[in-house]
Amino acid sequence: MTEIGMAPALRPQAGASAPRREQLVLGIIGTLAFLVIWEAAARFDLINPVVVSNPSRIAAAFVSQLQSGEILGDLAVSLIEFAAGFGLSLVVGIGLGIAMGLSRLTEYAVDPFVWFLYSSPLIAFYPLIIVWLGFGFATVVAITFLLSFVSVVVNTVAGVHGVDPQLVRAVRAFGGTRLDVIRKVILPAAVPLIIAGMRIGLGRALHGVVLGEMFSSNAGLGYRITFYAAHLRTADVFVPLVILVVIGLLINQLGNAVETRLQAWRA
Amino acid sequence: MSVLAQAPVDGGSSWIALARRRSARAVVGFTAVALFLIAWQIAGANEIIRSDLISYPSEVAATLIQMTASGELGSNLAVSLQEFIQGFVPAIAVGIAAGTAFALSTRLHYLFEPMIVALNTSPIIAFVPIVVVWFGVGTQSKAIMVFLAAVIPIVINTMTGITQVHESWIRACRAFGASQSQVIVKAMLPGALPSVMVGVRLAVGRAIVGLIAAEMYVSVRGIGRLIQVYSTSERAAEIFVLVAVVATFGFLLVTLLRRLESLIAPWSLEP
Repeated sequence: MTEIGMAPALRPQAGASAPRREQLVLGIIGTLAFLVIWEAAARFDLINPVVVSNPSRIAAAFVSQLQSGEILGDLAVSLIEFAAGFGLSLVVGIGLGIAMGLSRLTEYAVDPFVWFLYSSPLIAFYPLIIVWLGFGFATVVAITFLLSFVSVVVNTVAGVHGVDPQLVRAVRAFGGTRLDVIRKVILPAAVPLIIAGMRIGLGRALHGVVLGEMFSSNAGLGYRITFYAAHLRTADVFVPLVILVVIGLLINQLGNAVETRLQAWRA
Repeated sequence: MSVLAQAPVDGGSSWIALARRRSARAVVGFTAVALFLIAWQIAGANEIIRSDLISYPSEVAATLIQMTASGELGSNLAVSLQEFIQGFVPAIAVGIAAGTAFALSTRLHYLFEPMIVALNTSPIIAFVPIVVVWFGVGTQSKAIMVFLAAVIPIVINTMTGITQVHESWIRACRAFGASQSQVIVKAMLPGALPSVMVGVRLAVGRAIVGLIAAEMYVSVRGIGRLIQVYSTSERAAEIFVLVAVVATFGFLLVTLLRRLESLIAPWSLEP
């Protein structure tokens, strides 16, 4: 179970504010330096600006795509597919995870399939999924779901297993039903690990959306990247790409914030 | 551990109970998979569900044999393997070097941090088209994608590993007159190795996805290319064969890495 407790990389250290400021300033300097070097290389013809593109062209492409409103439509499509696929994986993942955590028979029977899904290159299945579900929305949602739900399942199972059996026995001793045990003991105790699983799942879901859109859709940010690349409009490719990078960063920040809260709540 | 069952039988920690649980897991898991395969075979072979949509196990097996015999599988696998190695080996070297540098200098780390985090959190597949535009449709763009996908987890885990090395080891080395490079080679890197290896194993999965996506996007040869070819002919059996080949490759590589790890660094074995 390599995914459980995998250190979320590069979490900004909480604590003293002076190192924090240094981190911020140096980060901005590093990023700016990268952009300036890139721009200069294009200006002095060290790289071919038409093929490689450069920050100023990308900025201009950003403005024109925002003005035409096209990119916003793609963003909306991607976000809806993301929400649908990830939402589905939460419902199925937590449900299946609790079932597997509570019943050893279910766990043993389902485990091989979960690990197959986890370790197989799901991306290669997309031709079959298109044949099954058709080109477009349903296929993208299905790929998003398949990629993200395994981490939710695995972490939910681990969370349920980690519940203190004494608490379960206490609830049962006072006449609590199985449902009471699930609602009052198991779910609350499993929440930290479920959230850790959600965090990994969110990243994988974003992968799934892009993957699905790149190969089996005619809308969305992933589709737009392949569209512009096919027309060799390099600067335009970067607009959806940068938006995706920003979405990835936002998801990561959200995860950090939730985990910090959770730690404060548990402490 | 089933938490609802309360009988003491369940929580038995004796070896017998453990062995019984292991064999129960194996038996139930095996039965479930066998039932699934039988149901799949019956549904596909008897056209209860259209077999060109789902195929069936015996057809998949026959297709595997046929694709292997014709050399189609071997020659394309060789291309993918070559691209993988061309990207993965540099990723390990650069990843460990950069991770060590970042661990030694916080300032250097801060300078690059936004870019590392951005690469780590964004869907790497989205970079495939731009990498192909920049580096062409040949093997080079695939190696670059493998490198990009693999290098980040190795950097991050090397860095984390080194910062978590016991301060006392480093002080002990220094006390006996070790130079900075000796401290790195003798204390930091060996101490960080378990974490580095976790990063490398994580990188394997990402690199495979990056490679297959890049090959599927545009390529002349390779496993991803085959997947693309058979997707247009709507042949499920070939797709299943190719998925199995890629999954097996990933599994074998991770197993090999674990073996290697236990050979060169027995202290790093995970429980």
